[in-house]
Amino acid sequence: MADLGVMALLLGLALSAYSAIGAIIGEKIGMAALVVSARRALYMTTVTAIVASGALINAFVQNDFSIAYVADHSNTLMDRAFVWVAFYAGNEGSLLYILLALSVISAISVWFAPKRLARSMPWTIAILAIIQLFYFGVLAFVASPFELLATVPLEGRGINPLLTPPGMFSHPPLLMGGLIGVTIPFAFVSGALIAGNYGDDWIDVARVSAIITWGVLGTGMLLGAWWAYTILGWGGYWAWDPIENVALMPWLVMTAFIHSIMVQKRRGMFRMWNVALLNIAFVLAQLGMFINRGGPVVSVHSFAASTLGTIFLLFMMVSLVFAFALFLWRMPQLKSDRAMESFVSREASFLINNFLFLAVMGVTLWGVLFPVFSDLARDVSVSVSAPYFDRVNGPVLLGIVVMMGIGPLLPWRKTSARSMKQWFVWPIIVGLITIGILVALGIQRPVAIFSFGVLAFVATAIGEEWWRGTAARHRSGDNWALAWWRLVNGNRPRHGGYIVHISILMLALGIIGTNFYQQRTNGSLALGESLVIDSYRIEYVDTFDSSRPDRIAQWAEMTVYQIDPDDYKQEISFAKAQGSSGFTLKDSTLRPNDELIDTIEPWHGFYIDFNMASVRSGIRSTVVEDLYVIPRDFLADGRVSLAVSINPLAWWLWVSGPFFIIGTMVALWPQAAVERRPARKRLKGESEGEL
Amino acid sequence: MPILLGTLLALVSVVVIVYPFLGSKKYRLVSESFVTREKLRAERLRIYRKISDVEADFTSGDLTEADYQHQRDQLRIAAAEILKQESGESMPNAKRDEELEKQISRLREQSAASTEAPEGGDTL
Repeated sequence: MADLGVMALLLGLALSAYSAIGAIIGEKIGMAALVVSARRALYMTTVTAIVASGALINAFVQNDFSIAYVADHSNTLMDRAFVWVAFYAGNEGSLLYILLALSVISAISVWFAPKRLARSMPWTIAILAIIQLFYFGVLAFVASPFELLATVPLEGRGINPLLTPPGMFSHPPLLMGGLIGVTIPFAFVSGALIAGNYGDDWIDVARVSAIITWGVLGTGMLLGAWWAYTILGWGGYWAWDPIENVALMPWLVMTAFIHSIMVQKRRGMFRMWNVALLNIAFVLAQLGMFINRGGPVVSVHSFAASTLGTIFLLFMMVSLVFAFALFLWRMPQLKSDRAMESFVSREASFLINNFLFLAVMGVTLWGVLFPVFSDLARDVSVSVSAPYFDRVNGPVLLGIVVMMGIGPLLPWRKTSARSMKQWFVWPIIVGLITIGILVALGIQRPVAIFSFGVLAFVATAIGEEWWRGTAARHRSGDNWALAWWRLVNGNRPRHGGYIVHISILMLALGIIGTNFYQQRTNGSLALGESLVIDSYRIEYVDTFDSSRPDRIAQWAEMTVYQIDPDDYKQEISFAKAQGSSGFTLKDSTLRPNDELIDTIEPWHGFYIDFNMASVRSGIRSTVVEDLYVIPRDFLADGRVSLAVSINPLAWWLWVSGPFFIIGTMVALWPQAAVERRPARKRLKGESEGEL
Repeated sequence: MPILLGTLLALVSVVVIVYPFLGSKKYRLVSESFVTREKLRAERLRIYRKISDVEADFTSGDLTEADYQHQRDQLRIAAAEILKQESGESMPNAKRDEELEKQISRLREQSAASTEAPEGGDTL
């Protein structure tokens, strides 16, 4: 199968080179058959990428350890279900996966491209083919997943244990697919600019492909956070790790783009700005590839042993120069149809929101690159950690949430004082009431309280929009549910956007809760002992082994009780005096109001072949808070060492995911056609060939 | 076997990319007029959608009556102008106005309820 894989990669390399050259020459000399042939070559690269991927997957299924990549990432003990994960578990396989994703989405987007873009399609095809050419070249000559071993081992090394949880079936593919997906809107817009198509013909293709990419990337990041929280067992979900950051940055820029493209669509403004945003997103995606493939920044996610850094750095530099040279060349033709009339208008709010997104991106980029600059300039290795990102990005992100409430309430062009009063009064009142209630309840931390007020303001703004629209339909005879459904259906991009905004509010709720109100304690327990934190008592009742040939694993069975803090007054006072959030109890006698509410089974494993420890936390999750128990180690004296935390509102982080996906899909769902297209036969007659 | 499959894949690829040069179908680059027609049609549909949005904005109080009338008239003029370009001079003015009204009514029906409720545009 290695031979087939190598042949498919070499063929793909030749086809993508032909496609790029054929499309450009065909367009230049006006030879339609050559352009058609180039387009078909692009489709065939998809076939070759599928064949190469199939060959690698088949090698995993067959346990073909003559292929180094297969021997490195699987063994005969590996469940066959993990073949898919093993496929992209290493550097070479993940590159092949990226190529597969790129070629498939390239073929789909070219196939469905609107006819009005026919003149720019050769250029779009050429750009897509050149990017594919790069990946085919890297896979064929530098990082081949089909490299053979001189001596075939009897057994493989096995799959990285961190990649075996179910989330790994979707998190890496979505993240890599999202990053490479930025290529599609970039290629369409660049193609249009090269061809001299300065109008708004590319808006719909760019918007749809950008939203798909943005949704995929966002879902991938959220799944990654969930994986970190539930599987990695370090107690958090976002560490501002360089690889997390390089996925976040293009996502932020794409978020800015999918907002400002609406201004171009509706008002004919921001054309230049939108092209610049797509360019930045594309270059940032390439930066992500560079850092992930042996770039200079160390991350737990990256393929650190890779030597591909220089190649990807060069490709990123070429992308940067190409994108912005093209932009500067065509800039004079990209002027807006009209100027902004007022700074209190929807378009102005979109612009402010764009600046805020770019500010977060800039801060994050600086945090990622600062260690590199420091190393180069002073020969001193430094690392930029979470507090920098939290402190600088936190207020800007809050500003984005505020704009999320203000923007949709402002009309296009300009706003009158009357309409400001009409739309803003209720959201402001509800925001202030929320702050008042939290203060009255004795909740601490002013910044968090203000943030909760902001969330209430935005939620009320969305609710008010929906209420008015639904009530208007209800008055015309629809029942409430149908009225709301018709409201959403009437303008899906807008109301899908609101659903996404709700998901962001949920996410913000979880972030504020876990960042401002988390409680932590550590302790080690012998059987029968308990650890008390806040209103929970966790008793260590049993332990058992579940070792397998590839791992040594030990489980702890723990019962969780809800306690009445008054029953533990003395111990709690003592712990507080020591500056601790919790304490251990040697006595197993329960107090009068202790109530059994759950049993959790955290475990700690060690994977011999990988010399790697892996932990599964015990989590009791509710709408209000999570009880999070990390078994750090099982000690020789029979005790278990624990890190326990209470993570308020963490549940909302994960509930936001489905809302994010649903909102994105609603926003993407096509509107009903205003006008039926002419019959196919007639269209064919008009289309003058295949282009 | 893998070599055979690889060779077959290469042959299929060659056939697929060579076929446009040898097949009976003669390809021509799309004419300027075809692209222009497609662009005009797309622009007209965009204007219809904008008219619908403007009506919704007015209903929701996002636009004053004067602004609404002004914007709607401008958009209708733009749509009529495009219809004129699309049909050449062959379509009489009355027919063109009728076509314009028909398309706008169709759009209005599609989002029947949305024109009665607060609509301010798109967030995504």
